[in-house]
Amino acid sequence: MSTSQIRVLCIDDEARILRALKALFRDMNVHTTTDPAEAIAWASQSDVDVVVCDQRMPKMQGIEVLREIKIAHPRAMRILLTGYADLNAVLGSVNDGEVFRYISKPWDNTELRETVQLAARIARDAPVLQDKVVDEFDRETARKQVGVLVIEDDPDTQQRMREILQPHYQVRFVTSPDRALTVLEQHETGVVISETAGQHGDFTALIKSLKQYHPHIATVVVTDRANAQVAIDLINEGQVFRLLLKPLRMGSCRLSVDAAVGRYWQLKQNPAAARRYFVAPRTDAQIPSWLAGNLLQRIRLLPQRLLGMARAV
Amino acid sequence: MFELLIVIALVLAAYAGYAHWQLGRMRARAAEISAELEKVQATQSQVIHTTKLASLGQMIAGVAHEMNTPIGFVKSNVEVVRDLVGEYRTLVEKCLQGFDMMLSADLTRPQTVEPLRRALTKVRDTLAGDSRLSDASELLTDSADGLTQIANLVRNLKGFARVDRDGMDLFDLNESVESALMIAAHQLRDRIEVKRDLGVIPKIRGVASQVNQVLLNLITNASQAMGDEGTLLVASRRSGDMVEVEITDTGAGIPDDVLPRIFDPFFTTKPVGEGTGLGLSIVHKIVQTHGGSIKVRTAPKKGSTFTVSFPLDHALLRQPA
Repeated sequence: MSTSQIRVLCIDDEARILRALKALFRDMNVHTTTDPAEAIAWASQSDVDVVVCDQRMPKMQGIEVLREIKIAHPRAMRILLTGYADLNAVLGSVNDGEVFRYISKPWDNTELRETVQLAARIARDAPVLQDKVVDEFDRETARKQVGVLVIEDDPDTQQRMREILQPHYQVRFVTSPDRALTVLEQHETGVVISETAGQHGDFTALIKSLKQYHPHIATVVVTDRANAQVAIDLINEGQVFRLLLKPLRMGSCRLSVDAAVGRYWQLKQNPAAARRYFVAPRTDAQIPSWLAGNLLQRIRLLPQRLLGMARAV
Repeated sequence: MFELLIVIALVLAAYAGYAHWQLGRMRARAAEISAELEKVQATQSQVIHTTKLASLGQMIAGVAHEMNTPIGFVKSNVEVVRDLVGEYRTLVEKCLQGFDMMLSADLTRPQTVEPLRRALTKVRDTLAGDSRLSDASELLTDSADGLTQIANLVRNLKGFARVDRDGMDLFDLNESVESALMIAAHQLRDRIEVKRDLGVIPKIRGVASQVNQVLLNLITNASQAMGDEGTLLVASRRSGDMVEVEITDTGAGIPDDVLPRIFDPFFTTKPVGEGTGLGLSIVHKIVQTHGGSIKVRTAPKKGSTFTVSFPLDHALLRQPA
């Protein structure tokens, strides 16, 4: 696909940002608007590949616009471009917008262009997962077959998760990355639920490497550390499926895990769609020493048969 | 009789002893109180300092956020303009090559001239129809705009903090209002409509950075009282020998049982970790030291109005109106 075929839609309440983006993407087919309603209609009418949207706008928040576009035109890849890093926007962009990337203003031109081009290729090549609910029979089967792994070393949270999850899922609990891999090696696991950090270090590094090699595993990250940057990195480097804040509420926790099991189940039947959750290979500098040797090797070698599919990427 | 005297002497001695003991105790108590007082005073100045730091943090975060948008497009535009100019230069060079060929060609031979003319016309038309220069010029206009916006933000920030002046000064309260609104802009944006009704008012004398802090504090409180949407009205006027700023929100209002305590230090209704409870007590203290006063009117679910009054400068008062 040549760049001139890429259809990009940009939404921002600041006309000068839109003119800058239009100039930056001048070799692509760009449509810009300050009107969220027009954007939502335009996305499906013009069959756009990539949507680049601001977060804070007077009429409608960016994540709402992206959620609407996700429903109206799921094929498009969604990118949030924002000057603000407040935690609510970040949580919303994961849980509601399911964004491909969260990019901060001021942006890097080369990086933004490459991200848009990559997103456009994926939007064209990778099939779309229908957002419709997996039917009841499928859901029951999925719950019985798909393993859910919880990495959590805080006994109280673990107890709470046991209460919420044990009755409904094939759930296994571990307290360390090492034990987590043992479970992943032995059981088909579709969902990994993890803290951002525990006594054993930064769990997000594990989540990110796991996503790089096995993008079909849906990850749910639970945190009480209200750090927007950690969450942004989890989107951009880990394509985290859901981000939940502690204390965990039964309802939202069940909904998220159900959706995660459903996502894995759909990807299992349609492995090529996993490309939509692509993350760039991690550089050596990004991998902490505790993960770099043996553990990383074990992540790479996780048996595909247990993951229920051929490698999709 | 003698015995009676002895008894009296003993009683007196006992009383004197008691009095002395009592005196010692009182002295110790006085020392304790004065130590306590010193501690409180130290704590208070510490608290003012801490609040100042907190509002400094808020200020920096606010302005940084405000700057991200203009910096975003200015930075992008400058890079894009550099590319556009580079591409345009290539076109111009092609055109110049054509000219050079034309100049060095033997123009008496039609078979040389005709293809050259065609080639040159083509290059000329491409150049004439190319929009890169006008695009670049438009991007530069936007960038100049954006830089002005950034410069204004920085000027406002300096005005708010008054790092260059610390002490009593004549200053315009309306400017203070604008600075505080700019600093608070990122917490108001897309949620709260701001209305201004700023009158023509004489300058007042005071420590501008402290008064700015008062206004920012009241605006922040108003914004937090309003939740997802509301209207913030900021008005200023002269009222007799005073200048007033009125900050009205359409928020939750203050409950009757809370109202008498809002200016108390450490009193807060915010969840643990979100408010220090020092905001309004500091506001009160600053207004007081400026010889001013602060009033509040509130109605549950309708909103609150805080009115801060500052005395006019004496020098101004002495001048005939």
